[in-house]
Amino acid sequence: MHVFANPARFLKIARPLTPWLGWGGGVLVAFALFMGLFVAPPDYLQGDSVRIIYLHVPAAWLGMAGWAGIAVASLMQIVWRHPLAAVAARAIAVPGAVFTFICLATGSLWGRPTWGTYWQWDGRMTSMLVLLFLYVGYIALGEADRERGGEGRITAIFGLVGAINLPVIHYSVLWWRTLHQGQSIGLTGSTIAAPMLWPLLVSALGFSLLFGAIVLMRMRAMLARQKVEARLRRAAA
Amino acid sequence: MKRKNQRLILLILAAVAVLAATLLAIWGLRDRASYFYAPGDLAGKPLPVDQAVRIGGMVKKGSVRHGKDGLTVDFVVRDETPSTIRVRFRKILPDLFQEDSGVVAEGRFQPDGLFVADEILAKHDENYMPPQLDAGKHEHKTGPVR
Amino acid sequence: MNRWAFVIAAYAVALLATLALIVWSYAAMRRAEREAEALRGRE
Repeated sequence: MHVFANPARFLKIARPLTPWLGWGGGVLVAFALFMGLFVAPPDYLQGDSVRIIYLHVPAAWLGMAGWAGIAVASLMQIVWRHPLAAVAARAIAVPGAVFTFICLATGSLWGRPTWGTYWQWDGRMTSMLVLLFLYVGYIALGEADRERGGEGRITAIFGLVGAINLPVIHYSVLWWRTLHQGQSIGLTGSTIAAPMLWPLLVSALGFSLLFGAIVLMRMRAMLARQKVEARLRRAAA
Repeated sequence: MKRKNQRLILLILAAVAVLAATLLAIWGLRDRASYFYAPGDLAGKPLPVDQAVRIGGMVKKGSVRHGKDGLTVDFVVRDETPSTIRVRFRKILPDLFQEDSGVVAEGRFQPDGLFVADEILAKHDENYMPPQLDAGKHEHKTGPVR
Repeated sequence: MNRWAFVIAAYAVALLATLALIVWSYAAMRRAEREAEALRGRE
């Protein structure tokens, strides 16, 4: 990771990588969602409502992976004072929050025709809503700290502590009785039939690439702004 | 010791403390954070009558009886234990309600042990498959209630 | 057909949110990088 410690070297890789991730992800998502909407079979019980899964599961994955990324970057920021880690952590926060919101919204729209309710306070749904609130708090804290010219240490600690919610979300369906069903995809296999599973995996990959492109774009914007601010400060001195 | 290592050790200690606190909280919440009671939970220690609770489990096969008024439904909820709960409901059932499938009911126990539900939610399991694959597999949903 | 209404709503919400996020991030990046570029030109 220390290869990327230098922003100039990072930008040399990030600039050409951004369009590749963006277009690659866009094409994969378009293909996967077309398959999911029109080609994949309906479910034997849920019927066509099952098609929401092609959005819900990738969004849930990215909402959680996003905070895992924030936690790792925060650790690198605190322990090794890695100059790019703070930028990366802050760049992940907004897309992470948006995908967590998409996960909750699509889940709600799936729950109504399937369970018969938009929302219930069970362990899985509540812990996912907590993740959204953590993102909002993290973004607000980061902005406040930056305005005061802080180093983002408090924000990084918040990013690390918040990671405790990730195993809670993951295991909520095992620890507590929940309305939400158990895990369908594990390391050893899946309980989703193949014609539904592969569009789901392509969709998750596509959204992940898009997520990467968004994070890179936000990091580049922050680095450029930092450069401008540094120049102006130097010019004023 | 290098400053870098000091920071790392301090952080690991803090992480262990937060983890321990969270595990304690989860352990304490174990019963209360459950979204519903299963029949096996209530064996030998019934809930107070007329208290709003949620129960859940599988709809016992062959137990669904539709009343003459066309609205009242009676059925039995089971889990992997021998205990069962008799449930009565007087509204429109969700589409996915069916025998041998998961269900969560919100309502109150009557003194005679009958559970009168105000709301019924269908609980989906983790299996997703196209209709044609279902033909021979309809007996698969007999795992533990979650 | 009723279930399709929920499917369409879910796809609309998800795709609009994703698109808005991409457009916003891209516009912010272009603006910031252009400003940095302009400043370098002046020195």
